[in-house]
Amino acid sequence: MNSTLEQRHAVGGGFLRRLNFGTAAVSGLIFGFAAWALSHHFLDDSGQGFADQVTVLTGCGWVVGFLLGIGALTGPGKWFTGRDQSHADEMYLAGKDLGRKRFFQYTTDHKVVGVQYIIATMVLLGAGGILAMGIRTNLLTPGNHFVNQQVYNGFLGVHGMLMILGLIIAVAGPWANFILPIQVGARDMAFPRLNALSLWTLIAAIPLLLGSLAIGAMDMGWVTQGPISDQSGIGFDLFAMSIITFTISTTVAGVNTICTVLTMRTKGMTMERLPIFAWASIFAAGLGLYAFPFFLVVMSLNLADRMVGTSFFIASGGGTGWLQENLFWLMGHPEVYVILLPAVGAILEIASVFSRKPLFSYRTVVGGMAGLCGLSALVWAHHMFTTGWAPTLGGPFMLTTELISIPTGVIFLVLLGTIWRGNIWMKMPMIWVFGFIVNFIVGGITGIYLSDIPVDNQMHGTMFVVAHFHYVFVGSVLFGAIAALFYWFPKVSGRFIDEKMGRISFWLVFIGTHVTFISMFVSGLRGMSRRYSSYAMIFEHTNFITTIGAYMIMSGMLVLLGAVITSWRSGEPSGPNPWGGKSLEWMVPTPVPLENFEVLPVITSDPYTYGEAKS
Amino acid sequence: MTRIKAVVVSLASVALGALVIAMAGIALAHAQPTQAALEATNVGTSSVTVDGALRTVEHVALTIGTYPDSQFGTVFGKNGGAHPDWVAYSNNNLVVPENSLVTITVNQYDGGEALNNPYFGQVIGTIGNNATVNGKTVRHWDPDHVGHTFTLRGIPGSGRHIFVSVPIPPNAVLDSCDPAAPDASICSSQGTGYYPKDPVVVKFSFYVGSKGVYQWNCEYPCGATRIGQFGAAMSTYGYMSGTLTVK
Amino acid sequence: MTSNDNQKNNLRQIFWIWLAITAFGVVVGIYATPRLMPRAASNTMHLSVLTMVVFTVAAAPIAALVYSVVIVALTKWRYRGEGVPPDGPPIRGNSPATSIWLVVSTLLTVFLLVWGLALLAVDNGAQSKSQMTVNVTGQQWIWSFGYAGTQVHSLDLFLPVDTDVKFAVTSKDVVHGFWIVQMGIKVNANPGVITTTAVTPNRVGTFDIRCTEICGLNHAFMVTRVHVLTKKNFDHWLATQPATN
Repeated sequence: MNSTLEQRHAVGGGFLRRLNFGTAAVSGLIFGFAAWALSHHFLDDSGQGFADQVTVLTGCGWVVGFLLGIGALTGPGKWFTGRDQSHADEMYLAGKDLGRKRFFQYTTDHKVVGVQYIIATMVLLGAGGILAMGIRTNLLTPGNHFVNQQVYNGFLGVHGMLMILGLIIAVAGPWANFILPIQVGARDMAFPRLNALSLWTLIAAIPLLLGSLAIGAMDMGWVTQGPISDQSGIGFDLFAMSIITFTISTTVAGVNTICTVLTMRTKGMTMERLPIFAWASIFAAGLGLYAFPFFLVVMSLNLADRMVGTSFFIASGGGTGWLQENLFWLMGHPEVYVILLPAVGAILEIASVFSRKPLFSYRTVVGGMAGLCGLSALVWAHHMFTTGWAPTLGGPFMLTTELISIPTGVIFLVLLGTIWRGNIWMKMPMIWVFGFIVNFIVGGITGIYLSDIPVDNQMHGTMFVVAHFHYVFVGSVLFGAIAALFYWFPKVSGRFIDEKMGRISFWLVFIGTHVTFISMFVSGLRGMSRRYSSYAMIFEHTNFITTIGAYMIMSGMLVLLGAVITSWRSGEPSGPNPWGGKSLEWMVPTPVPLENFEVLPVITSDPYTYGEAKS
Repeated sequence: MTRIKAVVVSLASVALGALVIAMAGIALAHAQPTQAALEATNVGTSSVTVDGALRTVEHVALTIGTYPDSQFGTVFGKNGGAHPDWVAYSNNNLVVPENSLVTITVNQYDGGEALNNPYFGQVIGTIGNNATVNGKTVRHWDPDHVGHTFTLRGIPGSGRHIFVSVPIPPNAVLDSCDPAAPDASICSSQGTGYYPKDPVVVKFSFYVGSKGVYQWNCEYPCGATRIGQFGAAMSTYGYMSGTLTVK
Repeated sequence: MTSNDNQKNNLRQIFWIWLAITAFGVVVGIYATPRLMPRAASNTMHLSVLTMVVFTVAAAPIAALVYSVVIVALTKWRYRGEGVPPDGPPIRGNSPATSIWLVVSTLLTVFLLVWGLALLAVDNGAQSKSQMTVNVTGQQWIWSFGYAGTQVHSLDLFLPVDTDVKFAVTSKDVVHGFWIVQMGIKVNANPGVITTTAVTPNRVGTFDIRCTEICGLNHAFMVTRVHVLTKKNFDHWLATQPATN
């Protein structure tokens, strides 16, 4: 049946109807190959001379091709030529009536983007997890019996970066996209097309990062210290391209989040009535906007050293590695709070709902988060106490780092106050919250040890540091992300994730976390350096135990994956508000209609009115 | 879901997932080039002073070479592996028996310049703290004219503490073997290049104790990049670095 | 009135659990921490270990507070019925609790800071005096040591006991981390600059030096040893070493 031109225009979408993830991948490969072939041809590639330039240009080709192939530039392209998108086009882009297809396309509906972010998170954490298993298997016994030290060093760096990226988006990606607009009473994000752009740019960055492992010789960890990053093989060039692409994604997403919360709240939703998850999201987004440009800069300077012959980080040319370290940690420290805050926001929401109590001391926790953000920009050199750079600044940075324990403590105050005398409902989200509380204390306190310079002189660069930040990243952020997943999954799919499998996964991950990282603390206390592919015999037992614990965590996460997959189709139906929550997302039906609300609600109180008489 | 079903699905998830992860891990691990092992050959017994006491131990010998590229004479074969133009040792997976005296002969076909740390112009850790170069006994070599080093170490606290470092002098004939105008009387054609017909032969001996795996690498900056010339061949496993396994 | 409303009961139960966990934490801090760390070979390391002990003891009551509330929440306040639980008491805040919390956490922070600054001052004082200087050179992937004022170099470090030693550390290529494990000192070796640290070894023995900044392929093998000798033995060793360049 032939459709007339009018009928097709009525359906909308035009050219975009043919574009999806498949066309994007193909287009990316074609552009990447073309970039490789052209640069290879025009640059004299005898020996190692221009391998870096060829690699970088290939990476650029991939990203440009991928974004063209997914239709990211169609909207701006149309606007540029004087035509704008019709209403039918925009409905098409929002995925109206497209069914499952819309998850594989450049869809602007924030709910679709949220689900796509769940998949992206699982890919990143899954790939990072496989590499973690590779690392721990090599450390099961000393002597590099699994892989040689070069492969091991590559595993280390890419594992770190994959996990960091995965955790940055783990809570913010799915839930600041799916849930946040509904929570503030909006029909979508402030910039829906940018929303899709941020997701697909992230997807474009992932193969570059995995590719860096494939082309190898990555021997500088994820902190890519200058000058060794200038010495590494071409794997580093793809790594840097991946980061640069990612910073575009995260900047776009951050702007979108902040604008949505500040400008698109429904009538009556004052800032004092915002759910705490919304506050956490805008603080994290704002901090990210401050921090990630440093990442872009440091990667660019590194690439300039490698490709153009500058000496930013090369001492023999007048540069210094300290420049790289400062720029990197100016990003690196705020970034851990960008990772932490959305998880804390989700945890606080869940704590309130599952204790049936208002959030304790709302203003204090908002102030605490603000203080955390502000101070986090002032502590970066505590990663550099032993570098020999500016020993006189040791005292001031010790001060700011120890001060940051105060707003961190406020989070505990509010959590404990919220569960105080509540009716604790031990469903899966709340179980993970309690796991968070137990683990975050350990992570926080061990951070305090490291903030003290004499202790840091002993512990920096040892497995003690690795155990500390894994207690925070795995024990706290990951637990928060999983809690958020159990909490909001019924809103997305209308089903519960199976409780029983959830409990099996929780105990495996919780006990595994302690087994793994407590014995890792002991390795560090005894004197084992980090990033070692092999170790002295005195560290044999603790490393063996750590590896067994890591296998436990892996098992738990696999059970969780199995639970999510089986529950998606055949989990117990939940209804629109299974937890009795009071924030706006629980007031809309499941599945959530395309424009969220039939009539935009008018808000008269914050979502924490538990136990208060209705006025 | 009933409890039994939850347990069964959990076990299945772990089993299936573990299988996938194991396959991925093994694939990644095997992506590294496998190096053929070079076993030392037995050449009799010898008397050696070990920890102050004179003992009779097995004496084994290994012969390896250093080449200006990785094509002729190395484990990378005629094609030279992924980087045919990188300098390379002939073998990087050396195997010797435990509690033996090991004599290593290095046939050096490559040139050289100045070490970045003149300390490694010394011969360290060998029997007598000396080595022979083309038959002549030396204890050190001019650090401004060194080709490579053979520097072997273990991790203190794991197995017997070994540290051996021997400077390998440059083969001056290499300068006359430019493929554009090779001197055929002293250069021979191999692969796509010309190498000196006669190597500089360096021989040294040391005692290995109990089982373990030791790492060795070259401490002369014969790699690439502006960072101490330690990139490329120097930083990629198997070219100018390897293992000595004591079985 | 349910037991949930009985504030005094809650506080009393939490207090006893808190006391038990604090006691456990203090015992672990005092007994276990030093035994998990290497035996100190310098005053600097001794102070490091002491700090770990003190901070663990100081942290124990905090962790205990959090864990005791968690335990009571999981046992006493747990809702064991079916379906969504009824609402709890509408506690939106508690000014006295918040104020006490903020004041105590600030005081603790000040204590940590004062302790840290005091220790830093002791360390800096120690670092300003030196009776001998050792030039430490890190390169991929070996440490080598030169003894200032002599022509002696070595691959294992030799030091005389009870002598103030200053280290002038540099690198030939990338950044390495110079760490004497049992003496608690660490400074990076950077190419093109000299960074310094100092220590006074206070017992004879053999200790470990490990690299702590990833420096490439054999980073895990950039390990050597330091031999602390009596002053007489050290002078004898130094005198009998061949001069090398």
